[in-house]
Amino acid sequence: MDSHSLANFKKYLTEQWGLPEDSIEQLCDGLVTKKVKKEEYLLRAGEVCALTFFVEKGLLRMYALNEKGKVDILQFAPENWLVSDRGSVYFNEPSNYYIDAIEESTVVLLDQNFMERISQLGHSFRKLNERLLHNHIRHLNQRVKLLLGASAETRYLNFIHLYPDILMRVPQWMVASYLGIAPESLSRVRKDLAKRNFKKN
Amino acid sequence: MSTRNIELVVPPRPPHFVGDGFRVHNFIPSSFRLTMERMSPFILMDYNSKFYFPPSEEPKGVGVHPHRGFETVTIAYKGKVAHHDSAGGGGVIGEGGVQWMTAASGVLHKEYHEEEFSKKGGEFQMVQLWVNLPAKFKMSAPKYQALNREDMNVHTLENGLGDIEVIAGQYGHTNGSASTFTPMHLFNAKLKEGGEATFNFPKDYNTALLVIEGEIIVNNEEKVPTDHFVLFENNGEDFDIRATENAVVLILSGEPIEEPIAAQGPFVMNTKEELVQAIEDFNLGKFGYLED
Repeated sequence: MDSHSLANFKKYLTEQWGLPEDSIEQLCDGLVTKKVKKEEYLLRAGEVCALTFFVEKGLLRMYALNEKGKVDILQFAPENWLVSDRGSVYFNEPSNYYIDAIEESTVVLLDQNFMERISQLGHSFRKLNERLLHNHIRHLNQRVKLLLGASAETRYLNFIHLYPDILMRVPQWMVASYLGIAPESLSRVRKDLAKRNFKKN
Repeated sequence: MSTRNIELVVPPRPPHFVGDGFRVHNFIPSSFRLTMERMSPFILMDYNSKFYFPPSEEPKGVGVHPHRGFETVTIAYKGKVAHHDSAGGGGVIGEGGVQWMTAASGVLHKEYHEEEFSKKGGEFQMVQLWVNLPAKFKMSAPKYQALNREDMNVHTLENGLGDIEVIAGQYGHTNGSASTFTPMHLFNAKLKEGGEATFNFPKDYNTALLVIEGEIIVNNEEKVPTDHFVLFENNGEDFDIRATENAVVLILSGEPIEEPIAAQGPFVMNTKEELVQAIEDFNLGKFGYLED
């Protein structure tokens, strides 16, 4: 195991999950990282999702194919993000989603065993997990609200706040897909913003 | 006067594609010896070694992307590149031409194989350098310097065995065609078989060369073949090259910019905060707009 490749994950465990530093090494012992090539899949619809993926380096996306066979992106996962189909993991049922790499990535694979080991640490992980789950629900509700009723520009402004550097890393159609708007609408929003904000010097 | 020795000869690394139109070997920044700091002010060098692109109806290239905080210098040896930017500028870099784009406070641009070249297909060979700007010029106004082959100032070697095209800086009494923000020299040495040239730069200038065509011998001892990069030590002023066959060599030497570098993707600033600002400005359209 290349311990260097877990640097971001270890930092995440201490800073985001508040786990004590002296427990990190032991906890990460035996963890598996995976190098994922661009366009390589970590999950396909129809499979049961057994893992949660932590992005140590690179960029993943989670998407569904809609009734027209087009890609609807639910989530981007750049460095320091977790991505998984929680429903499929928890209910042990086939997933409706795909998770693949947009950039060559290094991913830490977290299984139930790892989650159990964290729980056994006795650092009120249950409480933390509950908080993460509620945060996730809050985020999803906000996303549904935006998709139902917000203008393309409001959706875009929320997007760049949540994912500051994704626009530079993916083709525009993917951003449009995430926002639930046509690529032409995204162009229009960006054109309007540029008209208001661009000052030639 | 003392000899500047070779520190490192770097063979071309496995190529990767930038967009679908540039098949490049990256030399800077890479590994511990060719970091941005080590080669400052030259903070990136991508080299598209001679490569045949078959005819294509759709011009290949790189779509709209931003830059802030530095300059891009594109030197076309084979093939033609068309470019457009968010300030309304654009043009074609033809064979033997150089485009010196000062991105500074920020531009969006795109670069594609020129339409006719794309339709016919052909050999493509190009160098792109990123030249850093000192803090006080990072937010200055963007500008272009387009240098065609015929505008290039040329120093003819005494023995008639070659020319030094002075893109920037000075060789002998010949001044460079491009203006720069910090002191540097950028030449194409075009030597006939047996041709020799000597170069003299201040000791502290970071100095390197790239063999574009042919084979040369550096300092009368080291044979350097095509597509190889030579990094020089900062231990002397002089070095010379001799062509064992007709050769083209890109020579670069510049005064290091002694400032912290914070780089992410297409932005090169001094601090992390300035990077965050650059990304936000890009997202909010402050670089303007350019259709893909």
